Amino acid sequence: MENELPDVKNYKLSFHGQGKAYFGIIIVNWLLTIITLGIYYPWAKAKNLQFLYGSTALEGDRFAFHGTGREMFVGFIKTILLFGIIYGLLVLFFYLEMPILGILIFYFTFLAVLPIAIHGSYRYRFSRTSWRGIRFGYRGDRTELFTSFFQWIFFTIITLGIYGAWMEMKLRSYLLSNVRAGNVEFKYKGVGSEYFLLNLKGYLLSLITLGVYSFWWYKDLLAYYVNHLSLHKDNEQIRMKSVATAGGIFKMVMGNLLIVIFTLGLGYAWAITRTMKFMTDNIKLEGNMDLTNIEQTEDDYNDATGDDMTGLLDINFII
Amino acid sequence: MLCTAGIYFDGASSKPQEIELQLDEQNAGLRFGTFSNQQIQWPVQEITFQYIGSSLEIRNKHHSLALIKVEDPLFATQFIAYLHSKGHLTWYQRILRLGFKAYLFLAFLILAVIVAGYLVIIPWVGEKSVLLIPEHYDISMGQTFYRQYLNTNSIDTAKTQAMNQFASHLQLRNTIKLHFTVIKSSTVNAFSLPDGNIVVFTGLLDLMKDYDELAGLIGHEVSHVNNRHSMKMLCRNLSGYLFISAVLSDVNGIMAIIGDNVHNLQSLSYSRQFERQADEQGTRLMILNGINPKGMTDLFSRLKSSEKVSLPAFISSHPITSDRIESINRLIKNTPHAYTQHQKLKELFLEVKN
Repeated sequence: MENELPDVKNYKLSFHGQGKAYFGIIIVNWLLTIITLGIYYPWAKAKNLQFLYGSTALEGDRFAFHGTGREMFVGFIKTILLFGIIYGLLVLFFYLEMPILGILIFYFTFLAVLPIAIHGSYRYRFSRTSWRGIRFGYRGDRTELFTSFFQWIFFTIITLGIYGAWMEMKLRSYLLSNVRAGNVEFKYKGVGSEYFLLNLKGYLLSLITLGVYSFWWYKDLLAYYVNHLSLHKDNEQIRMKSVATAGGIFKMVMGNLLIVIFTLGLGYAWAITRTMKFMTDNIKLEGNMDLTNIEQTEDDYNDATGDDMTGLLDINFII
Repeated sequence: MLCTAGIYFDGASSKPQEIELQLDEQNAGLRFGTFSNQQIQWPVQEITFQYIGSSLEIRNKHHSLALIKVEDPLFATQFIAYLHSKGHLTWYQRILRLGFKAYLFLAFLILAVIVAGYLVIIPWVGEKSVLLIPEHYDISMGQTFYRQYLNTNSIDTAKTQAMNQFASHLQLRNTIKLHFTVIKSSTVNAFSLPDGNIVVFTGLLDLMKDYDELAGLIGHEVSHVNNRHSMKMLCRNLSGYLFISAVLSDVNGIMAIIGDNVHNLQSLSYSRQFERQADEQGTRLMILNGINPKGMTDLFSRLKSSEKVSLPAFISSHPITSDRIESINRLIKNTPHAYTQHQKLKELFLEVKN
């Protein structure tokens, strides 16, 4: 552990979005997406993120999402074209009666697209995020991520998936440690072996207890993600800590399930706002950083293609 | 003049600056002074805002990082009302002012339209898309299934031959070639494939007492083939599935799952419709061939009394058997018909049964 910091103070994370208000956003998005036969989707996504970011506050000040539907629409079209080409190649190779080669190329292109999509998504999403007027940014290098990613995938395959835990930690460390908010830098220090053991224990105990342990597993995972994340500025820092309990997670998950099922899905907005509230209430920040003198450092960036690709590939945005 | 205390972030550092914010209606803009004694004016047409919870955040379109934060609900309401009166709210912001009841109404309206669309569009698409699918597709689909099925079941060759001869003496209004197969099995069942292959189990034949019952079974199964019921079912199921996942998965997974289950129930009712249609047309085929249509109801009654635990798939539980018998009886009563004894069919029937 690091030395005790002088003048440690707490920073408050909070969520102010109400289910009722979010319900309105979702319903309007839904209506417009149906009416426009799906074309409105990128705008809907922007409105959704604007609400969720705008409802989350640190020290009483809201985060902001500056991305627009137009930017995401361009990304959306590019993504659709790219996927069209990938599927087109597959069909072409089937037509040429070389299905095995076709499938190989298909999976390989998908794998190659993955790190590029993640990179693009981080670049876009963070450059469009701000707090107290300070822009976030992601400074990872695409080529570096691409080569590392293939090494990790290779090790994961030859170890029959065991290396996956190490891969996940390395990926998370690389991505998050390249995130910054002005001159505040993020750092993530998860270790593959610890993460692997945590998952092994979680998996086995969940199996033995017929799933009951999964709430403790989830609690441990959340803590592992949160507690290893920290913020740094010069020699000041903020450490994060999850205080979520298994009981709390159980109450949140079960509550959400009941809400969504008994409202035939219409209660989804409340499930999300409850989850966000649970998360912000259970993540504690402490440290000695002065949050009133962060400097603007990041440039503007407006290519949303990566963000749309991860959306289509259904990869969850990590943070 | 509307006035409040706010906090200004200049977009260069995270330093909060306490400001006195004024809504200057004369110049149509917001006015405030910064720490460095700079007077800033934001014209209303350059303003964007977000109002979530109690916090109003105002930004300038040309300088999106700088922002003014106001935690004064009275000012927020009046400021937004002012923008509204000057026509500076976007259509989206105007929609969001509608309130919870309006959203709820909208939600139910969308659901109602979806349900109506589903009930009208899906059967229609199912019916029409079948016409676009060439018949050879039905044939290759049926043959694939038939070949796989026969790999694991044994054919009764003699009965199969007799059965085909029996059918060849009937006028069945079929457009594709029919082929009957008798399988040795105690299962009480029969089914038809889209390629004209009709499979009957000896268990079902054993129950029959007379040739008109066999004619009824053939009429029923052939009607499924003639109407391309398998392909229609496939098209309906597929288009329903696409419809539901397209419309509902945008909202959330649970809604899509609920939709899927409703769709499964709905497709049971489709197959019920198809069974009724096959009953009706099968009976008409019997009348056309001068066979006593009562054979159809006799067959059903026998199946009904033989039902032990599970219902045979041929009768496919759906329209309750007695219900179906009643409809057939009504049809027979309303359709003038005459029948004679067919010696040849009788002989072939005995061969099939032996």
